[in-house]
Amino acid sequence: MNKGKISSQEVIDLVSSKSMVSKRVAEEFLKAMISSIEEALLSGEVVRIKNFGAFKLQWNEPRKSVNVQTGEEILLSGYHKVVFTPDTILRDAVNEPFAHLTPVELESENPEPIQESTEVGLDPLRIFTDQATEIKDLINEIQALSPKTKAVPTKKDEVLLEETDEPDEVFVDKIEEDQKVIADVPLEHEKIASHEDEFEPLHEKIVIGKPVDSIFSPESKKENLEPEAFESIDNSIPEFESTPFLKDLESPKRQKAWLWVLIVVLLLGASGFGLYFFCPPVTSFADKCKTNITKAAESMSFTETLNTISGWFASKPKPVPAIKTVVIPKDTADNDSIEKKEAVDSLQLLFDNPRIYKQFIATETIEPGNRLTLMAKKYYGNKDFWVYIYEANRAKIPNPDRIAQGTLIKIPKLDSRLIDATNPRCIKKAKELHDVYVNN
Amino acid sequence: MNHKELIASMAIKLNAPKSVVADLLDVTVATCTELLVDEKTIGFQSFGNFEVRKKEERLSVHPATQIRTLIPPKLVVSFKQSNILKEKLKDLPHNE
Repeated sequence: MNKGKISSQEVIDLVSSKSMVSKRVAEEFLKAMISSIEEALLSGEVVRIKNFGAFKLQWNEPRKSVNVQTGEEILLSGYHKVVFTPDTILRDAVNEPFAHLTPVELESENPEPIQESTEVGLDPLRIFTDQATEIKDLINEIQALSPKTKAVPTKKDEVLLEETDEPDEVFVDKIEEDQKVIADVPLEHEKIASHEDEFEPLHEKIVIGKPVDSIFSPESKKENLEPEAFESIDNSIPEFESTPFLKDLESPKRQKAWLWVLIVVLLLGASGFGLYFFCPPVTSFADKCKTNITKAAESMSFTETLNTISGWFASKPKPVPAIKTVVIPKDTADNDSIEKKEAVDSLQLLFDNPRIYKQFIATETIEPGNRLTLMAKKYYGNKDFWVYIYEANRAKIPNPDRIAQGTLIKIPKLDSRLIDATNPRCIKKAKELHDVYVNN
Repeated sequence: MNHKELIASMAIKLNAPKSVVADLLDVTVATCTELLVDEKTIGFQSFGNFEVRKKEERLSVHPATQIRTLIPPKLVVSFKQSNILKEKLKDLPHNE
């Protein structure tokens, strides 16, 4: 029984058993304790009990209220209330289950809406060019990293890409999941490159084994489709993100984008074909795999092959995400860089826009020993941000080095990103402004 | 009235040495603390209830700096006076 009211009788029992006194004594003691506390409270005193807490009287003012049924106003009379403040020892003991928790400072919510607005403001053409460069980079990296890109899946990509209107939405969840997986498996680029040799053959096995399982099990086929589909899915991520804007825009632009993607995919496929047929090690390896599989297929029964094929996916779930990572990290990296760019851009925008000071958090008077830099340190956490105070009070301050005593300085409320003391860019900007103002 | 004064007044009432009273008070406090740590409610007849309440986590915003802080949940001891005590306190005059 976790909850349940313990009566004073039970407390008396516990105390008597603990301190080896009769229950009668314990009862008398408890009564005396309560009456003593009451008396002290009635005489207006504060009662403090070591390791337990303090009892205090609090006067609650009379207040007006409304009868819920009749709507009549009633006056609730004031009353005294006994307030108990637990001692730190008791407080900590009771709060033990949550003692490990500490208050967490959260980032201010302001940046998000502003970022959105910048996104909306983006030129749709710019989005396409971004995509194009992204895809180009992707191809370059794929060509550089993996000479073993296979031709078969790319064709599928085309098919998939043509259907992506709806699949987009279907796949978004998957993509998110996969990205989570990737985030969980922090693979560095080099690592991927080294792992690639291990996983790539496996992937090819899957590809080669596909005709077999496409006959046998639709399930494994679906699974098989997945890793291949990722390239196309990744290509279509930005597409999906931009569709809200695109819906309002003319379709030709969109078709242009599709053309781009198609061309890119074709290029990719062609390069994959070329590599597959002209690179002797790849073909020989592929043949080996083929023979292995056919052997296995011969030796195993129908169900066994099915099991092994599904086992490739079931027993080796890690290689599959790893194959994904071969392609996806570049993409996520690209996304990151874009995000960074946007963040940087918004910062730059903040820097470039003339700051308007409307809200003020405090006012200070200039006294001997009180300087703008000190105020900046006090309110913004870094003395370099004094320039913003100066900007806000420019009308009153002819010379920032010599401010008349008694001048009322208003401390403006600033965007938290502008005065991020941990961001070297903010400090750099402030220092630039400092140079501008001091040299004037 | 602090701890010592309380013990003194109780010793007079019980007609017992202060050391005994102090020991008993310590035991009582320890018992009550244990019970409260177990999240049990203690009700003293004619005095009031000690109860453990959970304060949910909340977001607080510093009015000056606008820094938003997530305050974690916590367990606190709350005391609610009984009606008998409230009636007794009614006679008290209050000075504003």
